Amino acid sequence: MNCESIRERLLELNDGRLDAETAATVLAHLAGCPACRRELATIQELLAQVDAAAVPAPSPRLRSGVFAAIAAEKRAQGPATGAAAPAPRHAPRRSAWSWLNQALAAFGLLAIGYVAGTRWASPRPADPSTERELASLQSQVRAMGQLVGYSLQQQEQHSTNDRIEGVLTSATRRQPTPQVINDLIGALALDPSVNVRLNAVEALYAHADQEVARTGVLISLPREESPLVQVAMIDFLVAAKDRDAGPVLERLSATATADTNVREAARRALTEL
Amino acid sequence: MNTACLTLSAPICRPPARPDSAQPVTDADAPDHDLMLAVRDGDIDALGELFERHHRPLFGFLAKLTGDRAAAEDLAQNVFQRMLKYRHTYRDDGCFGAWMYHLARRCAADHFRKTTARSTPVDPADLERQADDAPAAAAVVQSRDDQALLHLALQRLERDEREVLLLSRLQELSFAEIAGILECSVGAARVRAHRALQALRDHYFRLQATARP
Repeated sequence: MNCESIRERLLELNDGRLDAETAATVLAHLAGCPACRRELATIQELLAQVDAAAVPAPSPRLRSGVFAAIAAEKRAQGPATGAAAPAPRHAPRRSAWSWLNQALAAFGLLAIGYVAGTRWASPRPADPSTERELASLQSQVRAMGQLVGYSLQQQEQHSTNDRIEGVLTSATRRQPTPQVINDLIGALALDPSVNVRLNAVEALYAHADQEVARTGVLISLPREESPLVQVAMIDFLVAAKDRDAGPVLERLSATATADTNVREAARRALTEL
Repeated sequence: MNTACLTLSAPICRPPARPDSAQPVTDADAPDHDLMLAVRDGDIDALGELFERHHRPLFGFLAKLTGDRAAAEDLAQNVFQRMLKYRHTYRDDGCFGAWMYHLARRCAADHFRKTTARSTPVDPADLERQADDAPAAAAVVQSRDDQALLHLALQRLERDEREVLLLSRLQELSFAEIAGILECSVGAARVRAHRALQALRDHYFRLQATARP
């Protein structure tokens, strides 16, 4: 071996990764070559510094993001989890069907909420203004159907970080459009990432004066599984002064299985509303 | 995305015998390979244990590779998400560490592609008139802090140089595994690491010389 090929092995020699025979050859060369010995000393010093270069611990955001993804995957898998129930070979396809079911369920709830809310609120839908309102709400329900499709497409085609970026971009738009609000509610109701849902609640504050935004949060609240997002939603409803939230908050505050912080937040919200 | 590109082309380490698939593998002492096989077979919780074991060195690798802690956190999260998404591609004869850094390399490549696409185009004719160092770099040189100088020298390496050098510092990976990740021969991986180390040394010494009073 010449000096060049010996020097190519110094990194491995330093780390004890060479096999015994090659290590003996390299060491024998080093014994008679001061230049390669100096090279080894330099490399050892440099590598010691590279190895010692400390990187601070990642923030808790990393852990929460990964465990939210694990929880979402388990939800998507359904109740039959565990090693005894092997995962299908085409996980993304199964995941899409699972999300479709969840999306349709959410869409159904939203549609029922709008229609029922409209009828209860308007026992005499005969006058023109009520009919216009009903037409507007029906159009919103149709928009909800579109947002389900949009959300599914988002989850299939974009990473969590991209979806968060999308939500934040929506939040910065000066002129809120029904599509922006629908996208945010879609993210809140359907996105598997806790971080995306939290950002969606934050972004909806800008549209708290819109009935569709408040209704979207109110309908999504009982379906939400993350206490963190539930508390954020309750805070939103308080900030929006949504008096229609009373019955949902009362049920939540009385639900024994709900997180303590969520029950406490619901009780506090009832007092403030 | 083509999932085929996420499988390693050759078995690069001999995994331990596969556990009985009827038993969920959640034992903290279980080898990484067994835990990943369990994830692949539907025991998603086993990924939590793999996260606990590997997120710090993975984050450290990505932070040094990108020089950006926030980006490294996002990328580390993407790596674990891709483990879930592509778990069915993990092979019986796979090696978890090599697979994880293979995914990390792909995520980092996507990141660099996006950041390059977003950066403002610069007219090469203007480069001559621009300061050689950003203010932060000048401050680092002024400080004469060896660790800060080394960090700066690392960031001045070409991306592929930095990548092979950082992979070579991961004690859990052999050069055969690094070669598998980089999709090149063992000899080529060895030469690339050697050249990267030489380039780092040159940058570092130049920065030290600048910092010297």
